[in-house]
Amino acid sequence: MDPMKILCLLTAVMFLFAAPCPAGDLLSVSGRLDLLGSVALEGDSIKEDPSFTGRVKLDLAPSKWRFHSWLEGGWDGTVKGPVRDHSLLKSWDEVYQSNTPFLEFKELYVGYPAGALELRAGIQRYAWGRLDEYPINDLLNPWDYTRFLRKSLEDRKIGVPSLSASLNQGDWDFDAVWAPILVPYRLPLPDERWFGASALAAFARIPNAEIIPDEPDLPPRTLENSTVALRARHAGDLEWALNLFHGYDPRPVFKTTALTITPEAGKVLINPGFVPDFHKITVLGLDAATVMDAWSLRAELAYTFGRRFNIRQELWGYPVQPAPGNFPLNPIGHKSDALDYGVGTDYRLFEDCILTLQAQQTLILTRPDTLYERKFETLLWANLKKGWMNQKIETNLNIVYNPEHGDGMAKVNAWYVFTDFWKGGITAVFFTGPPQSLFGRFSGNDQVEVELRYSW
Amino acid sequence: MNSKPVSGDRPARLGPLHPVRIAGLVFLLLVLSPMTSHAMSGREVYEKVHELRSRALDRKTEATMVLFDKRGGKRNRTLTEYSKKAAQEAYKVLVVFRSPADLKDVGFLIHARTFAERDLWAYFPEYKRIRRIPSTSQDDSFFGSDFSYDDFGGPPNLDDYKFDILKEEIIDGRPCYKVEVIPKVRRKYSKYIAWVAKDLWVTQKIDYYQDDTIYRAGEFTDIRIIDGIPTPFRLHVENRKTGHRTELTIEGIEYNTRFPDELFTQRSLERGGK
Repeated sequence: MDPMKILCLLTAVMFLFAAPCPAGDLLSVSGRLDLLGSVALEGDSIKEDPSFTGRVKLDLAPSKWRFHSWLEGGWDGTVKGPVRDHSLLKSWDEVYQSNTPFLEFKELYVGYPAGALELRAGIQRYAWGRLDEYPINDLLNPWDYTRFLRKSLEDRKIGVPSLSASLNQGDWDFDAVWAPILVPYRLPLPDERWFGASALAAFARIPNAEIIPDEPDLPPRTLENSTVALRARHAGDLEWALNLFHGYDPRPVFKTTALTITPEAGKVLINPGFVPDFHKITVLGLDAATVMDAWSLRAELAYTFGRRFNIRQELWGYPVQPAPGNFPLNPIGHKSDALDYGVGTDYRLFEDCILTLQAQQTLILTRPDTLYERKFETLLWANLKKGWMNQKIETNLNIVYNPEHGDGMAKVNAWYVFTDFWKGGITAVFFTGPPQSLFGRFSGNDQVEVELRYSW
Repeated sequence: MNSKPVSGDRPARLGPLHPVRIAGLVFLLLVLSPMTSHAMSGREVYEKVHELRSRALDRKTEATMVLFDKRGGKRNRTLTEYSKKAAQEAYKVLVVFRSPADLKDVGFLIHARTFAERDLWAYFPEYKRIRRIPSTSQDDSFFGSDFSYDDFGGPPNLDDYKFDILKEEIIDGRPCYKVEVIPKVRRKYSKYIAWVAKDLWVTQKIDYYQDDTIYRAGEFTDIRIIDGIPTPFRLHVENRKTGHRTELTIEGIEYNTRFPDELFTQRSLERGGK
């Protein structure tokens, strides 16, 4: 039986048992509206229109059953017009979902707590691991990369239909998750702002060029292609967790087909010849946290069996002079085990001022020289957060740096709380580095953003 | 002119060892000596306060907090506090914000293994992350208010402080001990002076000092007896340096609750106490 059908059946059964109980109902509704505008600091970079989005969270607890939904939607200014995808609801089948206006259930599940055990079925987001921004063991949810890291970590996560169980036994917590289907990550289209620099830059400069990447064929939805994750956590002076993940790697990796350039009706249609490729990995991970004097410390470690990487773009086999035709490309994948590890800390400099530092590294165990990534790839993060006037104003200075390639990102922002409902923020973000690097590919995307938020 | 006093016109001067003079000196010593003018010591007063706070550890509190800046701007918070006595000197506290929207389900968890040793965690739903908070932050502002994290904890370890009764005063019509409390470990404040109601063993007023200056002051009024426990229903704290103040009003309180241990876990913190 199709695992997705099994999950839907289980969810429906749980809904049927969650009979409304008017006398004991507990209903909570909250939401938020965001108006976001950005001004590109590089005159010739792809522009982004203002975005207007909203979210509504609903929590209903008739008797012991709990129902939770988190619906988001609105107008996404990163989608380049005219809109090519007219579906309203985000789907679980496609990588390139360039649709606006849009709706998406980030979370939609029913839960049943029975003392120490809690079961949940439906669309869920998980937060495993301890590190910020790029937690190593946080693999259950793919990301929406359509605004790169401009969305917070939790906002980047795409909810996955899944069944989860959580058992508490004193200082121990045990978690199990089964996600029956692969939900792919989402990428921007090549002509959208957050696609970044790539080997396609040369093709984008062709007059009337329209670059249309292929959607990948997703793995068949069978039980063998589902994802399973287990976690055991222990609370104490040193809190730690052991994680096991077996499923599809949520991080983007590609395979090549063929570059095709076809003139048609006044346009030049270009299929860039690469598609997202999905591979199963097994990850054994560990994370821990403790406090020591004024320091709050955390660490993560993960060994990945069978991770995939792509070789440098200049080796993919793109023709030097693009011309109409079909051009087979070189194989670009490389398989290697990898070890990821990182440490992070928060240090209270003085009241309402926290310095967060984080260092993480990926070790590619069998690394050929064709890879762009070095054998060790390091990310160094620092964030200085300060509250002013009893947290009426919050400022953040965030810097991340990759020493192997000399690329990085700097972000400074300030939020002002006008009232209990309204707040406004301004952010400036800057990128630097070589074109294939993680941050350098966005070095043309320096921008200032202004955001107005209404919450209820 | 005759310079000497004449008997019958003026009282005779008392000798240095005159009984009246001696009695007067003893009387003055008794009045002026703080140590001998009270039946209790400062430590004993705080043991009574401590005993009352320990009795009040099993409770659920619903409260509203209003933050006022010096220009009169207001921000409102509502929160629920769950507290449980875990053992003779151990307790657990869970505080969850219910409003405003951007603080909803933000939570704070304390596990005190003893009154001297505490673990603190904060949960931020926006990040879905629980963070350990070092105890060095205990005197910091509690989520932007003029209360501190420590104010939401349970009874302190009395051995960490020195107590001295300064005098007795009437506050809100109640006789109070005015007690100077000096921490033996480094804290944000160099000392505080508390006015403890003699009949109720509840703090009615408190001034926190940094060196010789009051930087934070609190008043606790509308004291009601709930299940035999004197409880101030209005708590007002002001930061004298910034002019910011916070009013906390208890909307509802239940004592002798019997919460399960599962309510005070990190999982419960993530779920907002539900």
